Amino acid sequence: MLEYAWLIPVFPFAAFILISILPKRTLSWEDGAGYAIGGALGAFALSMLVIWDVIAGNTMVGDGPKFEWLVIGDISVVFGIWIDELTAIMLVVVSVVGTLVVFYSGGYMHGEGERRRRYYAEITLFISVMYGLVISDSYLQMFIFWELVGLCSYLLIGFWYEKPSAASAAKRAFIVTRVGDIMFMAGIIILFKYVGSLDFATLFDGGAGAAVPTDMMVLATALIFGGAIGKSAQFPLHEWLPDAMEGPTTVSALIHAATMVKAGVYLTARSYPLLVQAPESLMLVAVIGGVTALIAATVALVATDIKRVLAYSTISQLGYMTLALGAGGYLVVYAGSGAGYSAALLHLMNHAFFKALLFLCAGSVIHAVGTNDMRFMGGLGKKMRITSLTMLFGAIAISGIPPFSGFWSKDEVLAAVYSAGEFDSLFFLLWAMGIATAFMTAFYMFRMWFMTFAGDPRSDYQAHESPRLMTVPLIILAALAFSSGFALFIGDGFGMFAEHSIGSLFHGAHHGSAMDLLAGIFGDPLTYVSLVLAAAGILVAYAVYGKPGFDRSVFAKGVGGALQRALENRWYISKFYDDFAVKVVYGLSLVADAFDRYVIDGMVNGFAFLGTKSGEILRRAQSGNVQRYASLIVVGLCLLLIFMLYIVPWGGW
Amino acid sequence: MEVLDVLGAFMPQLLLVLFALALPALDYLFKDKRVLAFATLAPLVGYALALVSWTVGGYWEPPTDGVSPHLIEIDMFSGLFALAFVSVGIIVVLSSPEFIRGERNQGEYYALILLAVTGMTVVAMSTDLIILFVGLEIAGIASFALSGFSKGEKRSAEAATKYFIVGGFSSALTLFAISLFYGVAGTTEIAALGPEMSAMLSAVDGTRSVAVMATVMLIAGLGFKIAAVPFHMWAPDVYEGAPTPISGLLAAASKKMGVAALFKIFLIGIIATKSDWDVALGAMAILTMTVGNVIAVVQTNIKRMLAYSSIAQAGYILIVLPIGTDYAVAGGLFHVVTHAFMKSGAFMVVAALVVRGVGESIDDYRGLAKRSPLLALAMTLFLLSLAGIPPLAGFASKFVLFSSAVDAALVPGQSWLIWLAVAGVLNSALSLYYYARVIKRMYMEKGSDDKVSVPRMAGTAILFASVMTVLLGVYFDAVFDLCQQAAAALFGT
Repeated sequence: MLEYAWLIPVFPFAAFILISILPKRTLSWEDGAGYAIGGALGAFALSMLVIWDVIAGNTMVGDGPKFEWLVIGDISVVFGIWIDELTAIMLVVVSVVGTLVVFYSGGYMHGEGERRRRYYAEITLFISVMYGLVISDSYLQMFIFWELVGLCSYLLIGFWYEKPSAASAAKRAFIVTRVGDIMFMAGIIILFKYVGSLDFATLFDGGAGAAVPTDMMVLATALIFGGAIGKSAQFPLHEWLPDAMEGPTTVSALIHAATMVKAGVYLTARSYPLLVQAPESLMLVAVIGGVTALIAATVALVATDIKRVLAYSTISQLGYMTLALGAGGYLVVYAGSGAGYSAALLHLMNHAFFKALLFLCAGSVIHAVGTNDMRFMGGLGKKMRITSLTMLFGAIAISGIPPFSGFWSKDEVLAAVYSAGEFDSLFFLLWAMGIATAFMTAFYMFRMWFMTFAGDPRSDYQAHESPRLMTVPLIILAALAFSSGFALFIGDGFGMFAEHSIGSLFHGAHHGSAMDLLAGIFGDPLTYVSLVLAAAGILVAYAVYGKPGFDRSVFAKGVGGALQRALENRWYISKFYDDFAVKVVYGLSLVADAFDRYVIDGMVNGFAFLGTKSGEILRRAQSGNVQRYASLIVVGLCLLLIFMLYIVPWGGW
Repeated sequence: MEVLDVLGAFMPQLLLVLFALALPALDYLFKDKRVLAFATLAPLVGYALALVSWTVGGYWEPPTDGVSPHLIEIDMFSGLFALAFVSVGIIVVLSSPEFIRGERNQGEYYALILLAVTGMTVVAMSTDLIILFVGLEIAGIASFALSGFSKGEKRSAEAATKYFIVGGFSSALTLFAISLFYGVAGTTEIAALGPEMSAMLSAVDGTRSVAVMATVMLIAGLGFKIAAVPFHMWAPDVYEGAPTPISGLLAAASKKMGVAALFKIFLIGIIATKSDWDVALGAMAILTMTVGNVIAVVQTNIKRMLAYSSIAQAGYILIVLPIGTDYAVAGGLFHVVTHAFMKSGAFMVVAALVVRGVGESIDDYRGLAKRSPLLALAMTLFLLSLAGIPPLAGFASKFVLFSSAVDAALVPGQSWLIWLAVAGVLNSALSLYYYARVIKRMYMEKGSDDKVSVPRMAGTAILFASVMTVLLGVYFDAVFDLCQQAAAALFGT
């Protein structure tokens, strides 16, 4: 089955083509939703077959079908597919969430009219290139799809481009992630310079490490991780993601929570064979992850836009995954254990389900209420039973309450970070940040839930439950948010499965039975620390936002007030970028513009003037007189003769 | 049947000639003149299929038994050129019926196209200067007549006259050059020319001047065919006056015949005296591309602009001769192939528009994107490819050409070759200016509101050319591989 995996992206791509080119008359059923669903389902079915094959123990790493794209001298650019356990995990995420979001879109985009066609074309293109990204077998191929998902993200954030805020958010996302993309590109160029190939098979063979000097390996891996910082919205390039919420909520769920932002984490995980050769880069990964998790969680505490809460929460959870990958690298190098790596991937999968669920619930709410602002909601629980219940599932899952999925992966992540502390005590600090984040996560999630569904309506609206096309995906996702953590106990366990893909990097991976695993989790006092903090977060949220009659103005005074203002201004990071852009970049741009206008353009215009003038003059030689033509031939002939007979020997050529 | 054995390798040419003879008779038999076009297409398509299945598919080998070794040789080199000529022939014939509808003597028109293609393929296959000259003349005389086909039009008659006078002059120069070579080397066989000549040069004093004289005359004679500066003056007048499909034939195929002859004579025949002529040809290449592009900038007639653009393109191909490496020759061949499609495609768009009453002035193309989106799109493709914008065909072949100059410049003592690449890149930048101007007219300016429909047959030709233009750029591996085989075949390695 694996050799047909390249067909997966073909299905949605075919849908994209059909939706784009079919004439309006033929393209009926809600302007292309049918084709989009068909394409997504085709890819879903094939993905499932491929995943099944991987679970059965087959992989295709470097020995799959190849397509030679071009050969320049000794360099050949070959496209191929790379299917291992890591790919399979990403395929699960992309296929399940992608398919459900396309179904959900059928209800959500119902009222968009003419624009639906553009929407479905862009979303199918996105799904297609996202599949392409995860099955790529070289950094170059991955980079191409990497840029394409960036393009789709830009197009979809700016879907309502007539809204100035949406247009500028799209630009911002594109430009900020571009900073990371350039780093990614620089990183792979360094690798190419030393190894002469960008195929995973060559780079991960172990020979690559010998060819690249150690400091260059650190630089290359750090730069590649720079790409992940941009795409996965890690500090300090995280500010584009909250703005990206200007797009349709379905897009936020699919691209900006479940799939594309995972591409950075995926890239980091994929680069493990290189990263473990550069522990400095691993530390960078871990620190960026920890700081991101904490900072984003603090901003989520005060956000009032329901989607922004979720966006900051996404950033924070992505920080968890990055942190786990950094710590996991230390565990691989020093302890011969893949615990951190598998924890990150489990969290990646779980998060995709519960965050997509939360976003789609938020979309359902927004669909009903017509605003994003939680200050104008409240009391929706009675009118939107399915939405409120499924969202509760999501909130419990992300808060880390057993037996919901988030608990298992979050616990694994924190445990891995803590055990890495044995090799560098900085990890204890990062663990503390993770624990603090866990408390805040529980708090802001339930703050959001209570503000939305509890109490009395705070504005006038006629809310109603969403149509079946939207609620059914919610229910499926809720079931997954509840249960996907149990992957830890199926078969040999998720950990064993995930670690297969980096099996060559360490020896002695050993996992006990499911019971041992359970005993390990609940026998560890650290588990109870995070559990208690999560429960405390939920209780505080209930006390402040769930129970009526609490005077929240106490927060606005003194130190609390200053802190709240800082948080509401997103730690001034966004403002810093804006000021930086307005003053420094714009100033530089003015200089560059003047240079371009007067020096470069001056030169170009000069040449154009020269070209036009000399063209005018030369054209006059073209008299149309045939005698002239013949005599010019003779003149040319004589000049050539003189040149070759006398000047060439004399010039010593 | 010794005669048939000898002629075996000439079978395709015989077939073309046979159809050419039959066509004027068919002209009397059929009222619907489109029949003639199809009768012309039949041998061309057959020949093309045979060539493709041999060169690309490798399904069979052409007969080499009984091919007189002194006259012609069938190999990858000639096969690739023949493929280019026949493809252009197909494109030209496809877009002709609508263009010459109502004209008299259509049978002759198609017959002459077949004969021109025959002559070109003969040049590509020749291994002897005499048969090469015969090929040049067959193609040349056919094209003189073709460019004057629109008898009622003064412009066309003027074009034919000029073409004929300058062409006759150049043929004389070529023939004179050949006889001088024979005088020096005692042979007209191209492969034997080199050794014989170098033996003679070292044995007899003063032979060098004769050899240089012959070389210069050959440059002038063939320089006329490829419209290299300063032997280019006829080209814009003729391209403008000739029926537009024929302009396409001249620019995309006839010119390439000159290239084939130049490659054979300079890189095989007189490679021994390379140090005599390489700088001169390098300078001529730079001059040709620069003059072509600079004058193209100020043109107002699209056919003249395309004429100057193809002068510039000849300059790009000319750099192959001073470089002279396998890689450069492969690049030159590749550019021959890609240019055949993009230039003939551009001319056929002009022809299709003339059929629908759109003028030949660049200003007439205002707002074309609204009036005929498909034709405007095709034209844009061809122009961007000519300018060398990736991922279109023109980019790929230009890239190989210029990079071959850079590669060769790394050899000690050859560093001046780098200037060929520099001139090529600067010229490409300049050329974008006038190509983009047409695109701007089509897409950004407002013109009349009348819709322009696409003529069916010309549309087919344009579709074929645009598909090839895209395909050769995106998936150029297979074709470039052929070009490398052809270059190897030329050098006999």
